Amino acid sequence: MADTIELRDIEVWDGNMAASHALRQVQVDVVAAYPITPSTPIVEGYAGFKANGYVDGEFVMTESEHGAMSCCIGAAAAGGRVATATSSQGFALMLETLYSASGMRLPIVLNLVNRAIGAPLNVNGDHSDMYMGRDSGWIQFGAYSPQEAYDLNFIAFKVSEDHDVRLPAIVNQDGFMTSHTAQGVHTLSDEAAFNFVGEYKPMNDMLDLDHPVTHGVQTEEDWHFEHKARQQHALMTAVIPKIEAAFDEFEKLTGRKYNIVESYSMDDAEVAVICMGTSVETAREVAEEMRANGVKAGVVGIRVFRPWPLEQIAAVLKNVKAVGLLDRSSPHGAMGALYNEVAGSLFNTDTKAVLTNYIYGLGGRDLTKAHLVSIFTELKANADAGKPTTPLQQYIGLRGPKLSFF
Amino acid sequence: MEKKGWDGFEIGAMLRTFDGAVQDIATTLPENRPYSQSSSFTASVADWRIEKPLFNKDYCIDCQFCWIYCPDMSIISRDKKMVGIDFDHCKGCGICVQVCPTNPKSLLMFPEQKDEEAALAEWPKKEKKDQSEEPKED
Amino acid sequence: MLEIRWHSRAGQGAVTGAKGLADVVSTTGKHVQAFAFYGSAKRGAAMTAYNRVDDKVVMNHEKFMRPDYVLVIDPALVYVADITANEKDNTIYIVTTHMSTEELIASQPKLAGKKVYTVDCIKIAQETIGKAIPNTPMLGALMKVSDMYDIEFFKESMFKVLKKLPQKIIDANMIAIQRAYDEVK
Repeated sequence: MADTIELRDIEVWDGNMAASHALRQVQVDVVAAYPITPSTPIVEGYAGFKANGYVDGEFVMTESEHGAMSCCIGAAAAGGRVATATSSQGFALMLETLYSASGMRLPIVLNLVNRAIGAPLNVNGDHSDMYMGRDSGWIQFGAYSPQEAYDLNFIAFKVSEDHDVRLPAIVNQDGFMTSHTAQGVHTLSDEAAFNFVGEYKPMNDMLDLDHPVTHGVQTEEDWHFEHKARQQHALMTAVIPKIEAAFDEFEKLTGRKYNIVESYSMDDAEVAVICMGTSVETAREVAEEMRANGVKAGVVGIRVFRPWPLEQIAAVLKNVKAVGLLDRSSPHGAMGALYNEVAGSLFNTDTKAVLTNYIYGLGGRDLTKAHLVSIFTELKANADAGKPTTPLQQYIGLRGPKLSFF
Repeated sequence: MEKKGWDGFEIGAMLRTFDGAVQDIATTLPENRPYSQSSSFTASVADWRIEKPLFNKDYCIDCQFCWIYCPDMSIISRDKKMVGIDFDHCKGCGICVQVCPTNPKSLLMFPEQKDEEAALAEWPKKEKKDQSEEPKED
Repeated sequence: MLEIRWHSRAGQGAVTGAKGLADVVSTTGKHVQAFAFYGSAKRGAAMTAYNRVDDKVVMNHEKFMRPDYVLVIDPALVYVADITANEKDNTIYIVTTHMSTEELIASQPKLAGKKVYTVDCIKIAQETIGKAIPNTPMLGALMKVSDMYDIEFFKESMFKVLKKLPQKIIDANMIAIQRAYDEVK
């Protein structure tokens, strides 16, 4: 039996420390990892807890991120509670195996500490890796702070391991801006945290020797489509209700309320920005300041990026006149993903909000409050004009001549 | 196998070998195991064959080479005695014949339609080894 | 909102100092944030670390800051780093140096007319802890200049933050904090 740690009610933790304590508290059986900045302290933390007797599990140091996720897949198929962490180039190398994990319906929790993807090589935070994984069939949660990186790990295990779901889950947090930023984190006791997630309940596990199974089968055109359809069906119908139930139960336990789509000051908002990660919190502060200056500003944060909450997004934007979609990833030849997905969510509705796209913060470039003030000001002009007054896609915080498209 | 719709099978890229729970499967003979429909044991590949191996037990020394080498587990052996061939799963590759060490061979390939009794009747006799084929020492 | 910027060299403990300060402040019911600018920096490279303290949850994640306090824990950074960047009218500077405040301002004229305090955290650290790790003494100086907490309370709190270190090192840190508190001018 693993030793427990008496935590203070509020610990000053960065996002990595918070995530590693969550992995300890749910007593993950296997962490297989190939550490990479800025996610390294998560798996390093787990390995330390294991070495010091605070967790009954195995830490497997693999030869690459591809090997790390492959090992996680094997451990999950065998019937263990499994987790790992990665970032950026490591996530890119893992990508092939992510599709295996979701297609094999294996519950694995991946802490993805969001970091730019080179070239040029860069260790700082943007959402390129998060976006790269969006069609991989994983549930994707977004944390905006160390507290949320901690909390969402518990939600991720609970939902992912549910027998009606059985899909792997990613918990995203911003590299450095969350992962290496220490803030107060309200903790759960080891017992309360473990009980919230519960004992791991195996399903189709290879170590059930009375029911031998073959995992990782091949199918061709005769079966593949049906398997993918079944996977999509679970992701589209089972996941959101299970997340909502987990959020409700978590609120009862902690008082902290999470929503599929987070909305701030949106009840009477005329203009809104939609973003992810730490930017949501900075934008909330700016929205309050805009309101003091007479602009009815609101903020929408994407809490669940996959499955995409199409109906919830449409509902929260019902009465808004202008929306700024803030993408922290280079779209490389298209409008940003948030722009496209929100536009798709609104297209068949009566909402005819003016949508514009902002590309910001690549490679950790600071998103300042001044940037957000100028975005809200442009959105107000769009709302008043009833049409875009700026190009549809603008780069903000960029040196050199103004860059925009469409 | 019946092809089910997307909602008709168990989740995951996963197949079960047996229907229901099994115990002591290692000591249960294949024909007594509850193989599921998704196990290849329940499928026949007999129609893949153009030639088939036939077994002549008069020459067999039960060395088990054929049993070890058969890629489709189609050599039926009981208590380390060669019994015969599982013609539901044999694809007629001829590896068992190649590895058979007896003289004459205890397994030989014949056309699929060949009558077994006729084949046994015309089984070749022991060959005198050519001097040049003696193993060389080096 | 109280905002602090640290100027340090990678390896001198600014991140640990900022996190230690955040840890202490958090125990008093205030909300904190501690972060740093990272890159592919090597030990010895100039870097900055930051603290935010507020009565409500700190939601501002911009790296841009107009600091109330600038803490310089390496003497040479006064000349090579832009320590007055984004300053306010009333920004307070606490600088590690062997010089007096007057001598420091004479050697770096852009500090003229500003609220500047000096303390030799490097020397204090060398004489107490035995290594030039000037982060904890700088916190002692900050307590004196800012009057943020009673020094006994602060030392008690830092004792808990440092509790995993060997007793000898903890004791030396306590002396270093007190000395900087007494010596800052």
